[in-house]
Amino acid sequence: MKAFIHNLFDKDKWQYAFYTVSHPMDGFYEIRHRERGSVYVSVILVILFSVCFSINRISAGFIVNDIDPRSVNSFKELIAVLLLFFLVCVSNWSITCLMEGEGRLKDISIAIGYSLIPAIIAYIIGTIFSQFVSLDEGAFYYMILAVGVSYTLILMLIGIMTVHNFTLGKTIITVLLTFVALFIIIFVILLFFDLINQVISFFRSIYQELIFRA
Amino acid sequence: MKKIKFKFKIAAFILVALITGSSAGQMVAKAAEIPYETYNYNYWGDIVITPAAYVPNGSVQASDLGITDFKEPQDFCYSDDGEVYVADTGNNRIVVLNSDMSVVNRVIDTFTNADGAQDTFSAPYGVCVSENNELYVADSNNGRVVVLTPQGEFIKIIENPQSEILDDNFAFVPLKVTVDYADRVYVIAKNAFEGILVFESNGEFTGFFGTIDVKITAWEKFWRRLASKEERSNQQLYIPTEFTGIDVDDGGFIYASNIDSDGIQAVRRLNPQGNDVIQKGENSNVGGDLEFGTYGDYAGASEITDVVYRDKGIYSLLDRKRGRIFTYDKEGNLLYIFGGLGLQEGTFQTPVAIEDIGEEIIVLDAGRDSILRFKETNYGSLINEAVSLRYDGDETDAIAKWHEVLRLDENNELANSGIGKAYLTQGDNELAMKYLKLGKNRKYYSIAFKRYRNDLLASHMNYIMTGIILIILLIVLYKKFNVREKIRQKLQQKESVRREASN
Repeated sequence: MKAFIHNLFDKDKWQYAFYTVSHPMDGFYEIRHRERGSVYVSVILVILFSVCFSINRISAGFIVNDIDPRSVNSFKELIAVLLLFFLVCVSNWSITCLMEGEGRLKDISIAIGYSLIPAIIAYIIGTIFSQFVSLDEGAFYYMILAVGVSYTLILMLIGIMTVHNFTLGKTIITVLLTFVALFIIIFVILLFFDLINQVISFFRSIYQELIFRA
Repeated sequence: MKKIKFKFKIAAFILVALITGSSAGQMVAKAAEIPYETYNYNYWGDIVITPAAYVPNGSVQASDLGITDFKEPQDFCYSDDGEVYVADTGNNRIVVLNSDMSVVNRVIDTFTNADGAQDTFSAPYGVCVSENNELYVADSNNGRVVVLTPQGEFIKIIENPQSEILDDNFAFVPLKVTVDYADRVYVIAKNAFEGILVFESNGEFTGFFGTIDVKITAWEKFWRRLASKEERSNQQLYIPTEFTGIDVDDGGFIYASNIDSDGIQAVRRLNPQGNDVIQKGENSNVGGDLEFGTYGDYAGASEITDVVYRDKGIYSLLDRKRGRIFTYDKEGNLLYIFGGLGLQEGTFQTPVAIEDIGEEIIVLDAGRDSILRFKETNYGSLINEAVSLRYDGDETDAIAKWHEVLRLDENNELANSGIGKAYLTQGDNELAMKYLKLGKNRKYYSIAFKRYRNDLLASHMNYIMTGIILIILLIVLYKKFNVREKIRQKLQQKESVRREASN
């Protein structure tokens, strides 16, 4: 808890996150080798991203927003984003471990969390900007979002590349393998839950049988 | 004591209900009185229950009118003279009823043909009365269209279409027929997948019209490529669907319905060249129900069997799958939905044809062998009138009607966007924005918003410009006098003074 609060209010850690966005090569390198990143800040950024995403879906201007606001559940979206973040980190870590990547789980999660900053900013600016656009100017709104999201994707790629000390080609291969690993993890989890369910229902039926016969 | 109180409560409740009911002065048909559900789809495609636009108003059996009952009648037609012509297919006759369908004016079952011999119909399937007051009967089993006067005197016969484009063993079995203002005859024939057959007024076949394109998905193409030649010959042919019903509007445009298994487009509005010029509205759908199940008895898209062009661009489609009647305006917006299958009074068994007789919509049911009548309610007539006013360009008069509609159906998106559009033309952008947003009309909202925003900017330009200049000035001054640096210097001075003092 102490470390959490210390990191959260550490001005240097926050400034460093923004430094990483503007200087990705150096920034991610120092995250790996000089301990300048913070997992806490990274998780906060992921939460912030989820919140901004939900806010955009709920209250972007009517002209560019085609979503039924009643269908948006920001809490569910937060859980989903955090879960996805966790799964991506773990699966990337498990793949890069096998492929001689230098990054630790910590570094991967920091790299992915920090990379979300452009998307967060784009969603905030886009949501505000969308209040003032008409239909024919809507292209600018979509452009803002597209620029933010694509910068985030580029940062993620650079982040994973730098943290593991990979070449670009190897990074792309690991990213593809990461998704394979992601699906395997999800599959195993589902399988596990299904088996647990079966076991529980097995014992329950034994119990019921005993009760009805006694 | 308790009982008395209870009774008093009931009495008070009834009184309140009576007062509110009468003061509203408008009848909204209650759901319990109607044997079907009336609903519509909102912007997001969700079902919204609406007041009934049309309510059952009895039915007509031939036996009540003193003739033998209808036997699987397949089509009927409402003439300009106000007579209803029923093609009584099973009894090989045409029954002519008066406008309120209480009297049989005449029964046409024989006529004297060109040779002077007596002739009869064989399963007359379709019937139509032209603008020039000639009766066209699609005499299906005889393979001809018989043209008579309304009294049943012979005029001519259209048969045996000759053309190179027709298959050699094509058997002409006309099912539905309609005639435009120039006496061109449009015939839907059995197994004529190429489209509607068009005949000139002299009976000469001129060609097909409004062919429905075959849709093959990429997936089907892929499998066909994999299949061998033998397998391919065993597979079913991809042939276009046939038309099911046909009508003509005042401008000579043909409305033709077909069964679309995807539920997207079940009606076409064909211009004289045979091109489809229908407007599909916000949902880009004119295929009946937007939502339907994929398995079970009620599964699948609506099967539209007939179309009727009514007035001012309004047309109605008849669905035989769920017995619904869908009404659209010229822009393809769904106005209201009513009707249902069942055994109750006012529901259908096998609906086959629909007609508009002014204040009523009538539906021919081949299962019940009767004509079902539906009377428009206040709600229905308000929508019809408002849409008609808009069609005529009377947007301002339409506002009043739309407001009335809103009193009956608060969330009616059509009414809201109708009001919004009218305010927009009046120049009241703020109100227009409010109603267009409620009506979920993005396109017009954007126009209203842009005007509102630009007006606001223009009228407050002096403040905005002053503000910007002030901010720039402040920044410049701040930089020039380097306030921050001076403050720091001062602080440092103080610090050094203190240090010296302490030393």
